[in-house]
Amino acid sequence: MVFVAGRIVAAIPVLALVLIIVFLLVRAIPGDPAVVLLGPGATREQVAALRDQLRLDLPAPQQFLEYVAALARGDFGLSLKTGEPVLTEILLRLPATIELTLMAMLVAVVVGVPLGVICATRVNGPLDHLLRLVSLVGVSIPAFLLALLLQLVFASYLGWLPVSGRSSALVTEAPITGFAVLDAMLRVDCAGLQSALAHLVLPCAVLAAFLAATLGRYVRNSMLETLGEDFVRTARAKGMTRPRIIYVHALRNALLPAVTILGLKSAEMLGGAILTETIFAWPGIGRYMFEAIRNRDFPVIQGTTLVFALIYVMASLAVDLIHGALDPRVRRRML
Amino acid sequence: MRSMGGLVHFLRTNKMAGFGVALLASILIAVLVGPVLYEVSPTRLNILKRFAPPGPDFWLGTDSLGRDVLARLLHGGRVTLVVGCSVVALAFAFGVTIGMISGFAGGWLDWFIMRLADAMLSFPSLVLAIALAAAFGPSLENAMLAVAITLMPQFARMARGQAVSVSVKPYVDAAVTLGLPRRRILLRYVFANAVGPLMVQATLALGAAILQTASLGFLGLGAQPPAAEWGADVSINLDFARSAPWVALVPGTGILLTVMAFNLIGDGLAEWMDPRSRPMIG
Repeated sequence: MVFVAGRIVAAIPVLALVLIIVFLLVRAIPGDPAVVLLGPGATREQVAALRDQLRLDLPAPQQFLEYVAALARGDFGLSLKTGEPVLTEILLRLPATIELTLMAMLVAVVVGVPLGVICATRVNGPLDHLLRLVSLVGVSIPAFLLALLLQLVFASYLGWLPVSGRSSALVTEAPITGFAVLDAMLRVDCAGLQSALAHLVLPCAVLAAFLAATLGRYVRNSMLETLGEDFVRTARAKGMTRPRIIYVHALRNALLPAVTILGLKSAEMLGGAILTETIFAWPGIGRYMFEAIRNRDFPVIQGTTLVFALIYVMASLAVDLIHGALDPRVRRRML
Repeated sequence: MRSMGGLVHFLRTNKMAGFGVALLASILIAVLVGPVLYEVSPTRLNILKRFAPPGPDFWLGTDSLGRDVLARLLHGGRVTLVVGCSVVALAFAFGVTIGMISGFAGGWLDWFIMRLADAMLSFPSLVLAIALAAAFGPSLENAMLAVAITLMPQFARMARGQAVSVSVKPYVDAAVTLGLPRRRILLRYVFANAVGPLMVQATLALGAAILQTASLGFLGLGAQPPAAEWGADVSINLDFARSAPWVALVPGTGILLTVMAFNLIGDGLAEWMDPRSRPMIG
């Protein structure tokens, strides 16, 4: 309990600084932000209205306090492009991003962990070299290149999967939860489910590639270290079978660092979501942020950046807590 | 610190790292010598020859504006390598200096700098780079600055860790007792002992810097037309990639191979410095 409270308290100053950084984003715009954002064709009244909305006429500390107070009320400001409340727009798009990210995490774990185990149990063999090369390509390939390759092969050439977009059922039916797969299941709509899953495959593969490759590399190294430990030698001396030693004893210990990587890199994956959602026309907050960048819609850029950071901070906190629950030594070290 | 002779031997015996060095050397030769031998302008438009496929006239084809893809690949490679090195040099210089001062000074300054680093590391790195680049305005220089700022906390944290562990060593105590200036102690003792792991981190960061700057270019926040830059080249040609795949695949593959070379070398260096070490990228 003390450990949990300690971690939460430690996150408070970091959160405060995150807010300051997001607040300063608009102030980092060279010149008068209101003039720059509205462009050369803006009238004086429009500039004055925007200065008022962004509270630019107030002293900086007061601007910041008002910004935080507004955030606490759920007021993320209004989009300069559409005039809609930013938070409403973000919440509308959040399920699409969460659905994509969760599926990508699942794929990354299902691919990455066995990849690492296979490499570690066949260390320096041909399969180890091949899989290491594959994972190296996975961490080095730009998301937009992988997306393009997959679109060319599976959508344009083979015609197996849709090039972009989200489930076609979402166009005709009103969303229940906002998660296309879940909604199709709730409606017992087989065609909708098929469409939702088909649209998920390519963006999910692109987003999962980096995480699966990273996870594979960590699990491999962690497994190699664990397989050299005394308890593994003891298990072998006791006549335990090789699969039992690898999958029951070694893997359980080796997965501990992998939990940390999974948590942090999954949150990091949100950055990749901006690229993936843009390329696949996936209507999540990543694409919303991209559109805001093109329109220089700063309240939206600030709002989406803040949401991404909050998810990241919460994921880090969750990782610490899960790590602490799994390993008592971590609890002692962090206290 | 391990010897340079040992490093050469290691690179010869470690196939992956050796391959990384060979790959990087090939890329360097191609982008340095290539534009001298292949004297085609990367910005020359030829509307009549749009989307010409790879062949004897245009080795890697032409793009949507009839520009030579090979010429853009070679010139864009120069930009990418200069960008990667400049970004990491900037992040290294500021990050390491701040981290060293933080670790050596201790107290409230150390606490504040490290919380600031934590806060900056609380953003997915690409998200922070995008937000900063959007604020500074779309240009290659601003994109580089944005990526350098996002990489800085990594170096600061690492340098601070090294500074804290070195500053309690007896030889540093002795230097303080002898009255050596702080700056000299930091450079002569603290930095000299921490430089090895920091260089490994810098090599791995090169791959990340190139990927991130290319991603900003892809989103329209980096190099502006008509400049040749690999990320931006993929972006402007993306809509045509289904009918003329080479226009986007060529610059994209350039990014992949360059990042892969730096990652291979970084992994190799990490293993050489500490054989028990894990790869730090990803």
